[in-house]
Amino acid sequence: MKRAAMLALVVALVGLTAAACGSSKKSSSSGGSTSVTISNEQGTTWTCGFNPFNASVSFLSFGTEYEELTYVDGLKSGKTTPWLAKSYAWSNGNKTLTFTIRDGVKWSDGKPFSAADVVYTFNLLKKNPALDLNANWSVLKSVTQNGNKVVFNFKTAAVPYFYYIADQTPIVAQHIWTTIKNPTTYKDTKPVGTGPFTMSSCSPQVIKYKKNPSYWQSGKPTIDTVYYPAFTSNDPANQQLASGKAQWGSQFIPNINAYYLKKSPDNHYWFPPVVNVAVYINQTDPILKNLPVRQAMAYAIDRNKVSEIGEYGYEPPSNQTGIVTPTFSDWLDQGLAKKVDYNPTKAEQILQQAGYKKVGGVYQTPDGKPLSFTMINIGGYSDWVASAQLVQEQLKAVGIKVVPQNLSSQTYDNDVYTGHYQLAYDGNQTAGPTPYYELRSLLYSKGSAPIGKTAGSDWERYSNPQVDQLIEQYAATSDSATQHKIVKQLEAAMVNDIPVIPVTEGVDWYQYNTKDIAGWVTKGDPFARPAAYVNPDWGVMLLHLKAKQG
Amino acid sequence: MRFVARRLGFFLVTLWAAVTLNFLIPRLMPGNAAIAMMSRYKGRLNPNALHALEIAFGVNAHQSLVHAYFTYLGNIATGHFGTSLTFFPDTVAHQVLQALPWTLALVGVTTIVAFVLGTAIGLVSAWRRGTVLDGALPPLFVITSAFPYFWLALLAIWLFAIKLGWFPESGGYEVTTTVGWNWTFVTDAFNHSILPALTIIVTAIGGWILTMRNNTITVLTEDYVRMARAKGLKPWRIMWTYAGRNAILPNLVGFAMSLGFVVGGAILVEFVFNYPGVGWMFLQSVENQDYALMQALFLLITVAVLVAILAADVATAILDPRTRERG
Repeated sequence: MKRAAMLALVVALVGLTAAACGSSKKSSSSGGSTSVTISNEQGTTWTCGFNPFNASVSFLSFGTEYEELTYVDGLKSGKTTPWLAKSYAWSNGNKTLTFTIRDGVKWSDGKPFSAADVVYTFNLLKKNPALDLNANWSVLKSVTQNGNKVVFNFKTAAVPYFYYIADQTPIVAQHIWTTIKNPTTYKDTKPVGTGPFTMSSCSPQVIKYKKNPSYWQSGKPTIDTVYYPAFTSNDPANQQLASGKAQWGSQFIPNINAYYLKKSPDNHYWFPPVVNVAVYINQTDPILKNLPVRQAMAYAIDRNKVSEIGEYGYEPPSNQTGIVTPTFSDWLDQGLAKKVDYNPTKAEQILQQAGYKKVGGVYQTPDGKPLSFTMINIGGYSDWVASAQLVQEQLKAVGIKVVPQNLSSQTYDNDVYTGHYQLAYDGNQTAGPTPYYELRSLLYSKGSAPIGKTAGSDWERYSNPQVDQLIEQYAATSDSATQHKIVKQLEAAMVNDIPVIPVTEGVDWYQYNTKDIAGWVTKGDPFARPAAYVNPDWGVMLLHLKAKQG
Repeated sequence: MRFVARRLGFFLVTLWAAVTLNFLIPRLMPGNAAIAMMSRYKGRLNPNALHALEIAFGVNAHQSLVHAYFTYLGNIATGHFGTSLTFFPDTVAHQVLQALPWTLALVGVTTIVAFVLGTAIGLVSAWRRGTVLDGALPPLFVITSAFPYFWLALLAIWLFAIKLGWFPESGGYEVTTTVGWNWTFVTDAFNHSILPALTIIVTAIGGWILTMRNNTITVLTEDYVRMARAKGLKPWRIMWTYAGRNAILPNLVGFAMSLGFVVGGAILVEFVFNYPGVGWMFLQSVENQDYALMQALFLLITVAVLVAILAADVATAILDPRTRERG
């Protein structure tokens, strides 16, 4: 009996294996309709929730289902495109912002969209602070409707908040959301939006989006289906790109030329820099608060080498002004950028002039304390670990001892937020449409907190009243020339005070395949940030994609 | 009966200890769920979102540890595992139930297959020791068992999925198939499970073969086997019912434990193959300081292992009268 059962089991297994092998080939692009598959490892399976105010899933619905009032292009210094709002205007000393809402837009359930939905959305955020991911109501006073216009009143002049209100807040339907009891824990499994796509099916492994046939931009989108598989680890996601099963990637691929580019002449990639990866320096540390120490460190780091070896050349070298180039080149003060260059001899001179003495290869402060620091780092980011090691070697060469500490990303963030560190190798700040946003999150002391308390920005606890004032002045002007002038003054503070040392430029990871699909973002036409995880930009990208002719 | 009662008492004490540790250990980790979420979406979430997340997750709504502990015990008793923060705002129960079938099907079936095959090979090679079969199979599988799992799995993916293209390289099913109880989906899911299943079996089977072979060799020298031979019973019958039945006893508890661990999933397998099971979910819950999910999964594993051991104890007691006697 037992033997017979065993044999049967083996036979059955072998048989099924053979059967499955025979029928495994399947093509991902079926004739007639055009589909795009995205490969973007999120380290999670899908919950099939699409609440656009839930930070962990908003990137799956904001841009495709839910849309913004005005699109702001982060790769073109914040160039605006009218979206759900036809136009906007600042008034009342930049304290009042008025949007004129577009007519003829419909929700995907057929009901008309109107200015009332916009007002409702913002008041929903006011009532539920847990949904207000961009803290809009920290500056807003009121949002009111006036016919097809929506009027935003601010507590103070708030020009930079245009980006958060117009581009970063998804608009939801009043007739749906008024029926929801608790919007914070609302899953939103069948999102109703104004966007170019609707969610057609979802499982923990893949989301399928279908085009919205009654989308307000006539004739668009031309892509019929979008597949968004969930990847829990990097390798399978990269493999899908290399094999051509996925056409749009937002992946870090080691050795990309051999692994991806050479696999097909249709494979391309572009990594536009958007934000700095920097050494944060805790300004409250008794030794690090001395300027000569920070200056010496800034001169000692060879950014080109870190970029080439630590980051495979994917992330270009930064400069001390904190302006990411070439993305924001027209904001850069060339003279300032050249002021602090790689110069180890100068680094040692600065220390010597300030009275520091070299003892046993390591400099000591005038009162005899060695320049020896720990630098915390995220152990899971292999490229940052390599970069931090290079920084360690370069600082050692000028007599500054640094001990890198690889932490889990949580412990690391907890330490950075609460200020329990000396040096940190980090890219915590988010990119904005102009360099102002990053500089503010690095320098604005009012966003900081005392050591031990969680700081939302200015993690290095830098405090300079003049810089704070400049940051507030920028908020009060919508004049581009004045904005540029203020940013250049902030660059001067970066170069003179060295609160952080930008090392490399963090990029948007972006791979694309042109075999069947055209219309991709390219270096020559950066109409949107091209990483699939950037909202609402990925919706803009999907709208541009089309089947290749012939 | 007294034996069972004693075992049951032991079971309850162990369960309470495990449940309490399960509550305490995650709370010793630094940070909180809101910061964990910020780390997960590093550079993509506006730093201002931290405040909103703290409100949503109730991070600052402090309650005392003792109070939290008793709420936790109460919730476990009533089967309320709460809301997962990793899969916010989904409930823990829903997420676990969604992932569990995948793990049970893959890891459960492969554990049983590995045990059955391993035991059979071990028994036969002990019976026919010195033959070509005995000289080839046990050493071969002991070697494959010694390979690091992830390395073997990556090698298998490279060879069978990428170079030869026989099997899909990752996932539980093709992204373009619709999930449901239809033939296309079932064959597709089966097809995706072959490679992970084979790699698990190949790495797990060696241990069973070795212990079964050694047990059998010891048993074969027993008087009752000689007796059976003397009676002139058929060799196959002696092998299965005389040698096999007794040799398998020490392996039963090991098998029961590995069955219990099945619900914990196979983290490496699920990670390497991008498989939608609970093992990977477990890793996620720890990384995201998702106490609710972590506790539910810990509890699931603890209970499953304890129940399996209890069952094995009872089974051994039935199969082997000697264990029932008090020493």
